[in-house]
Amino acid sequence: MLDVKDVTVRFAGLTALDGVSFTVRPGTVHAVIGPNGAGKSTCFNVLSGVYRATSGSVRFGDAELTALAPHRIAALGVARTFQNIALSRHLPVLDNLMLGRHRLTRAGFVSAGLRLPSARAEAALHRARAAEIAEFVGIGDRLGTPVGLLPYGVQKRVELARALCMEPRLLLLDEPVAGMTGGEREEIAELVVAVRESLGISVVLVEHDMGVVMRLADRVTVLDFGRRIADGTPEEVQADPAVIRAYLGTSANGEHA
Amino acid sequence: MSDVTAAGRAARGPGSGAGTARRTARWAAWAAAALVAIAVPFYLDGFWLQTGLFAMSAAVGAIGINLLTGSTGQLSMGHAFFLAVGAYAYVYFADPGQDGAHAIGGLGLPTPLAVVLAVLTAGVAGGLFSPIAGRLKGAYLGIATLALIFLGQHLLFNAEPVTGGYNGRAVPPLELFGLTFADTPELVLLNVPFGALERLWFLGLLLVLGAAAFARGVLRGRPGRAMNTIRDHEIAAGVMGVPVARYRAGVFVLSSMYAGLAGVMLALVFQRTVPEYFGMLLSLDYLAMIVIGGLGSVGGAILGAVFVSVLPQLLTRYSGTLPLIAEPGSGGVSPAEAARILYGAAVVAVVLFLPGGLLGLLGRLRGAPGGRRAVLGRGPALPFSPPPASPSTSPTPDTRS
Repeated sequence: MLDVKDVTVRFAGLTALDGVSFTVRPGTVHAVIGPNGAGKSTCFNVLSGVYRATSGSVRFGDAELTALAPHRIAALGVARTFQNIALSRHLPVLDNLMLGRHRLTRAGFVSAGLRLPSARAEAALHRARAAEIAEFVGIGDRLGTPVGLLPYGVQKRVELARALCMEPRLLLLDEPVAGMTGGEREEIAELVVAVRESLGISVVLVEHDMGVVMRLADRVTVLDFGRRIADGTPEEVQADPAVIRAYLGTSANGEHA
Repeated sequence: MSDVTAAGRAARGPGSGAGTARRTARWAAWAAAALVAIAVPFYLDGFWLQTGLFAMSAAVGAIGINLLTGSTGQLSMGHAFFLAVGAYAYVYFADPGQDGAHAIGGLGLPTPLAVVLAVLTAGVAGGLFSPIAGRLKGAYLGIATLALIFLGQHLLFNAEPVTGGYNGRAVPPLELFGLTFADTPELVLLNVPFGALERLWFLGLLLVLGAAAFARGVLRGRPGRAMNTIRDHEIAAGVMGVPVARYRAGVFVLSSMYAGLAGVMLALVFQRTVPEYFGMLLSLDYLAMIVIGGLGSVGGAILGAVFVSVLPQLLTRYSGTLPLIAEPGSGGVSPAEAARILYGAAVVAVVLFLPGGLLGLLGRLRGAPGGRRAVLGRGPALPFSPPPASPSTSPTPDTRS
């Protein structure tokens, strides 16, 4: 479904990704892990069109993503969350979620400005769906609250809900449990499982929390200094000597990355 | 501003007594404001009417630039240029022109049509600039739009067959449904002579209301959410499917059309177009309006417009009795200068102490939901903060806040 082949990204002499390849099969959770600075976030930014690959190809279905602008990639059904929360702080949760419906709605300046019946009907329809998704993610009671007033963990959920509001086929999660407490991590992990199972969305996950990765991922790609050093099932990767070396020689189940 | 959504209302307790009382109070306030607005021409003299009409024109222009700068985070120094386009385009379309020694062009179209065409012309002018407006962001666009001011001033002074050059042009009065917006033919209503200003007053009110309603619709709807996200998180906007450049260009065109309408209103009130009026200071006035009033909201734009356009008029009117302010031409601090100093100070005060502007202050005083929003700060929308480094050097999207 998603086929990353030989992707290289260079920034003025620094090679952030060096010939990275991996394949994400439909309906699976694929984790991309690695120590700090390994190129995980760069990889995400290439997949979502924020960075342009210096060479290589990313195929999603029939489309070549490396040639597309971010909004065109979004139009294909690729959604992502951000490691650092990227919401509009002063807008209520519902408005943030409705941004996720942008690609599925049509109202432009004129129809919104004149409040044409078509624009109002469309907004009502999509508000209902956004509320449904908020319920699914567990923030159904916060729709009217400005995001900036919510605790960090809830804001991370809003990020996830906004991405789901795009009705994606592929969901890119950039460190969804970073900075969360143990209990919150559990809940988010269960949520990701539910997303895959009940919505059938393929997930690519960048995460530092090895416990979460090993529990969720069907397949793991390990990056170090921009290179792929391992690729396989969680068990295979955990036993890989190169991976153990990359994680500073700590024990194979590396509780902390 | 835009957050009175269904859910927002539900979250504040549907049908509670306090909510009903507040709604009643709100309606009462609106009704009172409408009554006052309608009564004004029957009681106040020409000076106040003209001041009010200037404020209405400024309100329309300020709503426009607030869509661009306050809601989308795109700085524009070129707003005065688009006001000039609107004002001069109206005159050109409406005036039949004249031959002879001082030949001057004009199409002599019906005046309502000239108004529409003038607004469209301002939009087209904004559209011509939109390849730049779509690509540059924040303060960079501000610098680029400075060029428009100089271009505009050059054209206004030198393209004499169209603009009348240094002397400007007389503005043909608007004629709508048989009513001429001029002092003749005479019209007396309830024993009050209804001249040009009285007649324009009601037209101005309608235009401000229409402009405000349209802008609110845009801000509360799909485009508004996209605009706010472009301001708050450009990268997130793109990833969520918003074509960022196209939206920036679109908002620039819309803002230009608002400026064009403001220019037409100004021309109708002033009855003459004056080229030097449409300079840099006017652009700065508009930025002062939206910062003082409150960035990103329609109400803030209107409040700021009233503040900035009424203050110099007040100082002029009462310059004789106010300390430190000299009559114009007598060598001291002139009322216009004093007004600039005062609202310069107001801008600083707002930036330091009132992140939500006057609108935020009002909300806080009322203790209404708006107050909480103001505390939270719609304010950081100022596009003057240093732009984030280009994506290639910053590994993660910035989270300014």
